[in-house]
Amino acid sequence: MRLKKILTDFFLLMALTTNISFIFNPNPYELVIAVIANLTATILKLGEGKILATEMMAASLVADLHLIPAAFVYFLGDVSEAVSLAIGALAANIISILLSIIEAIFGYLMEE
Amino acid sequence: MINKKSKLALIRKKLHLRKKREKSLMEEYQKKLIDSLSELRIPLLLLHFSLSFGTLGYMILSGGNFIDALYMTVITIGTIGFGEIAKGTDTPEGRIFTTFLAIMGIGIFTTSITVVIRVFFVGNAINLLKYIKMLAEIEKLKDHVIICGYSKTSAWFVEALRKRRIDFVVIDSREEALKYIQLHNIKYFIPEEPFKKKALLSAGIKRAKYLIANMEDEAQNIAVIVTARLLQPDRDALFIYSTAPTDGTAQKLEELGANKVIVPDKLIANRIFSYMLHETRGYISDLFDKIAYGEEVDLEIVELSVSEKSPLVGKKLKDIDLRKVYNVTVIGIRKFDGALNLTVTGDTEIEGGDTLLLLGKPSNIRKALEFYKEVL
Repeated sequence: MRLKKILTDFFLLMALTTNISFIFNPNPYELVIAVIANLTATILKLGEGKILATEMMAASLVADLHLIPAAFVYFLGDVSEAVSLAIGALAANIISILLSIIEAIFGYLMEE
Repeated sequence: MINKKSKLALIRKKLHLRKKREKSLMEEYQKKLIDSLSELRIPLLLLHFSLSFGTLGYMILSGGNFIDALYMTVITIGTIGFGEIAKGTDTPEGRIFTTFLAIMGIGIFTTSITVVIRVFFVGNAINLLKYIKMLAEIEKLKDHVIICGYSKTSAWFVEALRKRRIDFVVIDSREEALKYIQLHNIKYFIPEEPFKKKALLSAGIKRAKYLIANMEDEAQNIAVIVTARLLQPDRDALFIYSTAPTDGTAQKLEELGANKVIVPDKLIANRIFSYMLHETRGYISDLFDKIAYGEEVDLEIVELSVSEKSPLVGKKLKDIDLRKVYNVTVIGIRKFDGALNLTVTGDTEIEGGDTLLLLGKPSNIRKALEFYKEVL
């Protein structure tokens, strides 16, 4: 399960970092990579029934539902709207990361 | 090092203060549903990666046009192939990329769709969703009947309940029973063993009025009755009925918590005997049976107990106007000592401890009972 945790955390962080860089300097590739990373993190969380995992899944879904419309809005020409949607997704991304940290701490306490 | 370990142990102890709660059936089914979705993870990941790979590739080829790139990817891996729509795809580089994407993506696309269909339609996901919905509806039931074990007797019983529009929940886990439950179009059923605490709790034992323990063997009936009584000890809040092969077993089941246990062989013998007593056509036996057992839907017979302090005590039957007001007839009075008076007239006086036997239409009887419940 460690490998899955690494992969999930990697994609969550990737989504967060690319999202932040898109907000500061809107770039089509960064937005698409943020969408891809976020969707990957969501799919990796699919089918996990633990409480924290479901919370993370919900937060990831929220971020997806902000970033996917942001991608379409951006490429239809409304950059400021896309940026504001990405800021919304950023809030969900931060919550995902916090939940992931909490999950890691609990995992550490159980294993040590 | 020891210090660190003890600190961790202390934190762990603090975090585990809460006692582990047993999961309800609804939570268990929801967990199973979520678990079944994990099968989708790999095919969806593969599909997502091929879509992402294609979109990014076409974006680079077309100079950053996301919508055209996504569209081009979907029509390529979805085997639609409308043509080279995105900018840069009609170049040699674009065609090489499309070839690789098609080889990789078409297989992934078809495999993923097959897995998704299998999980939802061949696997358990749809059934689990149905059960979750059913359990949510059962939670709203009140004063209903719980039938543990679906046999031929239960099927007849269900028929009678349907006639009276009484809600019921069937609990049985046997394959054969589940087949008949679906064949007989039973609205609420729980595919679990009826003696499990969580099955009875999910069937709403705390809100139910009756429980029928009609399992295949005696031991299972005992298990159901004992579990049910543990969950609802009040004999007046939940009436438990069961069947037993002998009088001795019936007595034991009643001692364990059943309100009434019927011995089927004895019941059949008595009914045959009553037919023999009432001539060959057995009209009287049939009529009384139908009324007493609720098979006659237009007529019902019920008991109305009169307490010592009731205002009805000392009154004559003609004074209480049951026939005139509610169209309900008093056909007899069972006295306190058990003696039955079937020759009642309007001048018969009601005494404390009497039980009036009322005959009439079910709706009229209900109205009369509601009125006297408040008065008595």
